[in-house]
Amino acid sequence: MLKGFLTISYEEQTRITTVVVRVAVMLLEYGAESRLIEQLSSRLGVALGCTSIEISLIPSAIVLTTLIGDSSVTTTRRAHEQPINMSIVHQIVTICIAAEQSPRDIMMVERSLANIHANPYPGWFIVPMIGLSCAAFSHLQGADWPGFWITFLAASVGMMVRRALSSRNYSLLIVFAFTAFVCTLIASLAFYHDLSSTGRVVLSSSVLLLVPGLPYINSMLDAFKGYISMGWGRWTQATLLTLMSSLGIMLAMGLLDIKGW
Amino acid sequence: MMVWFTLLLNAMWAAIPAVGFGMIFNVPRSTLPLCAVGGAFTYGLRDVLMHNHFSIELSTFIAATAIGIIGVFWSRRYVMPRPVYTVPSIIPMIPGTYAYEMMISLVSMNSDGVTDALLSSFIQNGLHAISILFAIAFGLVLPSMYYTKRKKPII
Repeated sequence: MLKGFLTISYEEQTRITTVVVRVAVMLLEYGAESRLIEQLSSRLGVALGCTSIEISLIPSAIVLTTLIGDSSVTTTRRAHEQPINMSIVHQIVTICIAAEQSPRDIMMVERSLANIHANPYPGWFIVPMIGLSCAAFSHLQGADWPGFWITFLAASVGMMVRRALSSRNYSLLIVFAFTAFVCTLIASLAFYHDLSSTGRVVLSSSVLLLVPGLPYINSMLDAFKGYISMGWGRWTQATLLTLMSSLGIMLAMGLLDIKGW
Repeated sequence: MMVWFTLLLNAMWAAIPAVGFGMIFNVPRSTLPLCAVGGAFTYGLRDVLMHNHFSIELSTFIAATAIGIIGVFWSRRYVMPRPVYTVPSIIPMIPGTYAYEMMISLVSMNSDGVTDALLSSFIQNGLHAISILFAIAFGLVLPSMYYTKRKKPII
């Protein structure tokens, strides 16, 4: 045990700290829950030769300390807003498990971290799929077939708008408000010449692609597992996103003078 | 017989949003079929329970607990973080419509003044949304609370 940490110099410890905090920040940015962040970074740290890892999380930053014997290195990193990406979280889990199987191999971890790819789905596939998802919601809530197709159209166009705005790095709040606005404008086709008899269902289903499901679930999971402030932060973020989408809907409804759902 | 056929058909429809939202969260490609199975399973289970006169909150809670437990086995088998399976699977049950209606009545209370109808719509939809969300989250948390007790990570 003693032999283990005598062989790690201060420079090496700094290098380990940099790698571990990078993993933790990536997990936070791409939407992992707090317990996973804490567990994975401490497992990775121990695998790389630390005695223990202490971590403090707030929604926008991470403070992390690596302890090796008596010496400790502390560092702070800011986390920036990124679209949720479970593929990256999975790749990091794989890297940590590989690191546990071959301990003290920091080169391997650094190389694998540099090779992480976002792995996005192609637009021609995801856009109609999201349209179909929202249309399936409308069908489950009892929309008729014209309503089904209008929902499909509205959600597909909404997804295209969302992708286009996200790729131009607009704030997530603006993206949600504008997408909801466009979705509602198209969904209100259902009222035009009474195309569909279930206009209210079409209106409410076509914006469902904007439900912030993962932030809500993550916030509840965090709060239940003892990370109260992370839970509040994520809850606030999800509520703000819902509020912004509602504002987009209200704006479109006001423009078209539709009263109520 | 007809009722069971309708329930089965609805479960199939629920598989589509599970896959779609899995793609929004960018889950690895190999997990999409299991997300579809999970979505169909949770929605179908909730439908069956509600058909047997359980309340929507209790049915949601039981369905979410079931997928939480199944997720533990899947995540061990394929070495995946559990949310990859569980979150897309519970998406068909998310009370999105309730949450939006609550927010819209809140905004219109500000613009048109507080009326009894708007206030009751706000409170009713809000309570529904929060209690369903709570049921989902508590159901998903229960299995991992068991593993917290054992102080051993799932994967």
